[in-house]
Amino acid sequence: MVRLALSSLRHRTAAFVAVFLALFLGAALVMSFGSLLDTGLTPGLDAASAETLTIMGGVVGGWSLLLVGFAAVTTTTLGIRQRAREVALLKSAGATPRQLTRMILAEVLLLAVVAAALAIPVGVFGGRTVLGLVQDSGQVTPDVTHVFGATALGQGFGITVLSAAGAAFIAARRAARVRVVESMTEAAAPTARLTARRAVCGVLLLAGAAVLFALTVVVGPDLGLEAQALAGYIDILAAVALACFAPVLVRGLRVPGSGAAATLARGNLRARTGHLSSALAPVVLFLGMAVGTLALQEVDATASQGMLPEEGTELVRTLNYVITGMVAAFLCILLVNTLATSTAARRREFAQLRLAGATPGQILAMVALESSALALAGTLLGLLAAAATVLPYSYARTDSWLPDFSPTIPALTVFLTLTVALATPLLITRSTLRQPPLTATTP
Amino acid sequence: MTQDILRLEGLRKVHGDAATGVVALSDVSLTLPSGTFTAVMGPSGSGKSTLLQCAAGLDSPTAGRVFVAGREMTGDETELTVFRREHIGFVFQQFNLLPSLTVLDNVTLPLRLAGKRPDEARARDILTKVGLGDRIGHRPPALSGGQQQRTAIARALVTEPSVVFADEPTGALDTRGAREVLNLLQQAVRVYGRTVVMVTHDPVAAAYADSVVFLADGAIVGRMADPTPDAVAERLTRLGDDVARAGRAVSE
Repeated sequence: MVRLALSSLRHRTAAFVAVFLALFLGAALVMSFGSLLDTGLTPGLDAASAETLTIMGGVVGGWSLLLVGFAAVTTTTLGIRQRAREVALLKSAGATPRQLTRMILAEVLLLAVVAAALAIPVGVFGGRTVLGLVQDSGQVTPDVTHVFGATALGQGFGITVLSAAGAAFIAARRAARVRVVESMTEAAAPTARLTARRAVCGVLLLAGAAVLFALTVVVGPDLGLEAQALAGYIDILAAVALACFAPVLVRGLRVPGSGAAATLARGNLRARTGHLSSALAPVVLFLGMAVGTLALQEVDATASQGMLPEEGTELVRTLNYVITGMVAAFLCILLVNTLATSTAARRREFAQLRLAGATPGQILAMVALESSALALAGTLLGLLAAAATVLPYSYARTDSWLPDFSPTIPALTVFLTLTVALATPLLITRSTLRQPPLTATTP
Repeated sequence: MTQDILRLEGLRKVHGDAATGVVALSDVSLTLPSGTFTAVMGPSGSGKSTLLQCAAGLDSPTAGRVFVAGREMTGDETELTVFRREHIGFVFQQFNLLPSLTVLDNVTLPLRLAGKRPDEARARDILTKVGLGDRIGHRPPALSGGQQQRTAIARALVTEPSVVFADEPTGALDTRGAREVLNLLQQAVRVYGRTVVMVTHDPVAAAYADSVVFLADGAIVGRMADPTPDAVAERLTRLGDDVARAGRAVSE
């Protein structure tokens, strides 16, 4: 089975690149912030430096653990779901569900371990860069040396390997249990249902977000800056909760117009809920997290005006933007990654449409309509998640629910999200249209 | 009046590099009159699928020209698509229906794509004629192979194309499903005057056609009018032996 797993990895490089990329970048991100904890826990450090580093490593490290765990689970699940056809073929060739689960698990474990190992140098570099910025801002003394140790390695390997393996186990068992014929048809049009597991996860996450919301409002005013540790999680929890409910949410999407492309797009929104809900989640997460966290920094800057010398405030701001930027960049890559994978999986569908008489232009128009509906819905939900973080934090810090900051950054983030969510599927679709239609219909 | 609906002039197709590549079609010229049912047969590797794909505008020939209903098939992918949409219907071994659309929506899809108001009454009528009047709201995965292929035939006929190309249309079906599909194709020609070109390896299927074109090594090596399964099978066996003999002669 391990040999089969290895040869499958070799032959399906393209399909695994997406999963590998998510695990590799995720591990690097977690390791970067984990190494701040390692550095902060070094014996003999002055108390102020140690506190800054452990708080930062704890708070931002906590966010990134959550996000990377989520990314590992979704990309792995998506990667395995797209192999339903291959799994069906192996099953029809006599592979037992147990053998299949072991094969898929072996592939994913190997991929996760290699990705995390290769992420070490990137994590070291990221950790050093952030430490340098913290030292520039004066929050940590310049003589502190960067330590990359057990916490960075443990968190980096732990979160990627465990999340990926957990997701692989569930997805593989599910893929292996389905009957051969079912998995053949399911490969053609996967539908997503709001399973009991998804619903329970969603409700728990929403409850968690509500508790943090209440805590930020009640105890936040006394915590000051540290209220970020509470408020910063609300948008992430809310976004992941909305992702859990994605199968229901995508059913509510609407497309205007009466042309062939619009009719097809409407049909797809109804029937292809599987692909669409996996694409909705990263849009909500990226926008919610990026807007929420960037706005937190703005609220902070307003609240702490006059408390630090001008130069100090600037440096703290730069530091916060770099940290938020690292997390947002990871989520943006996750977004591109997910959209590219789920669009590339529609090669066969596009080819069949062309055989039925669809011009390349009509297929692009159909994808553009679907993607716009998805991007707009994701943007609205993402802004909702961001508001859940910003409003209570603004109340905690400034006594006013409505934060006072310029709308430039949220507007730019929304623009970036819409661009990425539209351009990625369109570029991938265009590249599949270059092939003659018949080669793409033969699996 | 019988008009030539399909004309192939010196079709040549080389897969891969022009110098070292595999020659799939060497120099095929063929003319088919309107309202005929032609089967294309040959040993595997004889180029019959390539011939169909080039003739249908799904693949571009290395050299040669294709005329459908007097117009040359040429242009970029968008122009070719519009041409195919107007003149050509397809039936494939793997049906190629869209799983997310109902049977009725699959059948009216080519009309919608052409920007026409889909005539649902007509689509229902065709679906009733192919025996699927009670299945129009179902999605393809819920249908049997034979029912899916009959849906594909209804879709191929709905635009009233000049030529319907069928590539091993019975390849994935059982005997009963295959018989129904072949009867429908025959009916499309005899009753409704369509033109059908069908690639098959099955002598029984070929016997439903008016004539058979035999292909070997990328060239037309014979034709047979009013085929019977036995005559076709016998001819095909001889063709296979010839190819094997030629292969031995080359290697000796």
